Amino acid sequence: MPDGTAARLDGDVGLELLRSMWRIRVFEERVGELTRADEVHGLVHLSVGQEAVAVGVCGQLRTEDAVYSGHRAHGHAIAKGAPLGRVLAELMGRDGGLCRGLGGSMHLVDVEHGFLGATGVVGGNVPLALGSALAGRLLGGDQVAVVFFGDGAVQGGVFVESVNLATLWALPVILVCENNGFAEFTPRSAHTNVERVSDVVAPYDIERETVDGNDVVAVRDAFARFLAEARQGSGPMLLECLTHRLRGHYEGDPQRYRQALAADEWQELDPILRLERRGVSDGWLEQDAPARLEQDARDEVEAAVLFARESPFPSPDMTAALVYAT
Amino acid sequence: MSENGLPKERLIWMFTQMVRIREFEERVKSTFEEHPGVIRGHTHLADGAEASIVGSLAALRPDDQLTTTYRCHGYPIALGSDTKALMAEIYGRETGICKGYGGSMHLTDVERGFLGTSGIVGQGIPHAAGVAWGAQIRGKGQVVLSFFGDGASKQGAFHETLNIASLWKLPVVFVMENNNYQAYTRVEQEDANAAVGEPLAVKAKAFSMPGVTVDGGDPVAVYETMHAAVERARSGEGPTLVESLVYRLSAHGNIIVPPGVPLHYPEHEAIAIFGNVEEFEAAKRGDPVPRFRAQLVTDGTLSAEEADAIAEAARAEMDEAVEFGLASPLPAPERATDYVYA
Amino acid sequence: MARELPYIAAIGEAVHQEMERDDTVLYFGQNLGLTDDDPYVKAFGGDRVRVTPISETAEIGMAVGAAFAGYRPVVQLYMSEFMLVAMDQVVNEAPRFHAMTAGQVKVPLVLQAGYGFTAGWAGQHTGTIYGMFMGIPGLKVVVPSTAADAKGLMTAAIRDDNPVILFHNYLLTLEHGDVPEGEHVVPIGEAVVRREGSDATIVGIGWTVGKALAAAEQLAGEGVGAEVIDARSLAPLDMATILQSVEKTGRLVVVDQATRHASAAAIIAAEVASEGFATLKAPVELVTALDATVPYSEPMEQYLLPDEAKIVAAVQQVLEAAPVAA
Repeated sequence: MPDGTAARLDGDVGLELLRSMWRIRVFEERVGELTRADEVHGLVHLSVGQEAVAVGVCGQLRTEDAVYSGHRAHGHAIAKGAPLGRVLAELMGRDGGLCRGLGGSMHLVDVEHGFLGATGVVGGNVPLALGSALAGRLLGGDQVAVVFFGDGAVQGGVFVESVNLATLWALPVILVCENNGFAEFTPRSAHTNVERVSDVVAPYDIERETVDGNDVVAVRDAFARFLAEARQGSGPMLLECLTHRLRGHYEGDPQRYRQALAADEWQELDPILRLERRGVSDGWLEQDAPARLEQDARDEVEAAVLFARESPFPSPDMTAALVYAT
Repeated sequence: MSENGLPKERLIWMFTQMVRIREFEERVKSTFEEHPGVIRGHTHLADGAEASIVGSLAALRPDDQLTTTYRCHGYPIALGSDTKALMAEIYGRETGICKGYGGSMHLTDVERGFLGTSGIVGQGIPHAAGVAWGAQIRGKGQVVLSFFGDGASKQGAFHETLNIASLWKLPVVFVMENNNYQAYTRVEQEDANAAVGEPLAVKAKAFSMPGVTVDGGDPVAVYETMHAAVERARSGEGPTLVESLVYRLSAHGNIIVPPGVPLHYPEHEAIAIFGNVEEFEAAKRGDPVPRFRAQLVTDGTLSAEEADAIAEAARAEMDEAVEFGLASPLPAPERATDYVYA
Repeated sequence: MARELPYIAAIGEAVHQEMERDDTVLYFGQNLGLTDDDPYVKAFGGDRVRVTPISETAEIGMAVGAAFAGYRPVVQLYMSEFMLVAMDQVVNEAPRFHAMTAGQVKVPLVLQAGYGFTAGWAGQHTGTIYGMFMGIPGLKVVVPSTAADAKGLMTAAIRDDNPVILFHNYLLTLEHGDVPEGEHVVPIGEAVVRREGSDATIVGIGWTVGKALAAAEQLAGEGVGAEVIDARSLAPLDMATILQSVEKTGRLVVVDQATRHASAAAIIAAEVASEGFATLKAPVELVTALDATVPYSEPMEQYLLPDEAKIVAAVQQVLEAAPVAA
């Protein structure tokens, strides 16, 4: 696939995109290791290979733009500004975690950075984004709401109920679909005979676009256009990002249901490698920069690991105090 | 033979069923005035939708099946269910078609393929798909009709079911009777397509399914549209979304009030809530039953006397249904726990 | 002939055998029957075995409709929480039609739903919600605690002409047990005494039966003979067996993984207080989950749940309690 748009990419922007993607990539791979070592428990869904969408989208948002995600949310949380240490501490069930160990991987929430959260039931997050968009409208500003979901979510009734309502009320919600061709262990063709997610919303005639989700510049440019319109008061929009889930649906998934991507195939698709190749050929990335970027990310992630390991486990009786809001 | 190829007998049959449905529904409505207290709860009438109901059912074979909403009186009447048993059910009598257990919203006649209704908007749509799945397995070419209103198309169940039905090519036709109102709400107030003047049939685009809109006040047009959709389903090509434009001539349902206040039919929402007298008057002028009668008398299919005779027979039939219902006993109270488990 | 099978395989065997025996049995749900090699697809074909999108309302609704039309669908829901998006179909459609139509239709369907996934699956995937479905007229609820019962109750559920929810505890998934090879039916509505004793009755449900047995073993070492009853069926509930036991022992502890007011334990206790008051020598003790959304972090998660120590303490409590006034 061609590398993104032909327009020149500012070198500083390119470096920032790379840093953000490297941060997520190293973090997620480290979480994979920690899961195998039993330091992270429970159900964990990694977004290795899908960094470009999180970074291309969230990097342009303000704190007050509410972001929602599903069960594969680490990358989105980090891209929206959640500190690595607090995310990892949450995955390790520690008191220093974003939710003091109460939520875990599928329930990361960082209100301070406008990451209103990950949810565990497919599609359940979409109406939440409508609520944030409605509130933003009522408050009179130009903040928007963004919700990430996968291709499996759009067959659910709640998705189309939400699209109808958001269109009717012209709510500034940007629906970002990471279409990786699989919903859990089932390919899209077993879910629907409509191949493109953007066709599912065809009846509502909302602004929609399908982009190469492994090209962070393409994602970024398309989202920038949508964001500008949303801030002007347009209604909902759908950005479908075609991507690949490099690992299983969850950590430990034996993945007998699909062919593994060959290593050389992945070299072509990997969003980080693609941007690095472009950076080198465009001249804003030195030859030794990738190794340094990766190392910087590793240092940051190791500091997060240290923070998380040193964070105490929460006291068990904390839960009783949190049943009701006071 | 009419110009559209339907034999005269078929046209007369359609007219007869439309008249019978209208007479039945008028009796239900007048029961509130003439015999207060006999009908309890909520009833929903099909007056105004006769052409759509009859035109749809005319396309079926005897072994086809259907599910509908709680606005369900018209379908079993046209299918040939015993109108005495239907009225008795609405009157809560033990001689009712569901022995008094279901009432107006849950008329059922399994033998005639009328497999049931749901009182919850949209929830009968997946039921129909399940029945169609059974038909697909049996492989005898049976088709299932799923009737629902425009309001149901905003329910998740609609979206989920149409996607699966299209993917599995289930032998089902989805018939959306769009009467422009969802209870007291106008369709443009709640539907993004209607809000911009689009027909609701465009929703079919999301499922790679054909979507077609038809004048639900013209029984022959409905028949032709449904015939094509039913044959498509029967041949294994999958479902169609048919949007049938109707106008209900009564309010959404009777008023439900606390005990002691008589139930009655209020004014149509067009007037009561939106003050749109002209819309309602125009709908009455376009009433499909007299319209079809006039068409058949004009083109010679029926003489005026024959049409009158049909109406007279329908009146007599429905008078008898009322008498039967009123004379029938209520069920014994202890029968209440009879059908908990199969 | 019996041989060892894991609990989850025992359920599968029941489905398979019933599908062989009766070609009106259908099996469908998400992420199953994906290829022609799938054992169900190979055995029964792609008509009777189908994969569905994430569309629980449609899945369960279709099961209702197929049941009207004479089929016996088994819907694999994986997790009981996924029924919640389709509550109308489960509670307000499936169990109502037989009654509303005065018996014209039957709805013989089975919903297979996992529960209690307390392994770090966090707040939305870890609940024990069977209490919500008790007391819905026409709806049956069974909770097997052994592999043999898993097969027997699934078989009974498929053969039952009513809608049945079979709740299977995730923690029991790989528990091996002796499972009869051929036809094996455990009647719905019958509890079973797993261990005899005369000093106190402990009723367990699903996963808590094993905990109750372990507690009974510990108590035996202290000279206390606890009788352990496995409820097996929550609707209909076999109170006769429980009341008979309480008549013998005079003391009752009920152990339930659900939270107190949503528990079957509360209903059992109320029934005993109402029907067996004269036989009680002490107030009934309930050992249930604490009232909180299950937290992600392990120490908190474990803190909430019933365990052997809590059961032992409860039995000691009922043994030492002041006698109930006659």
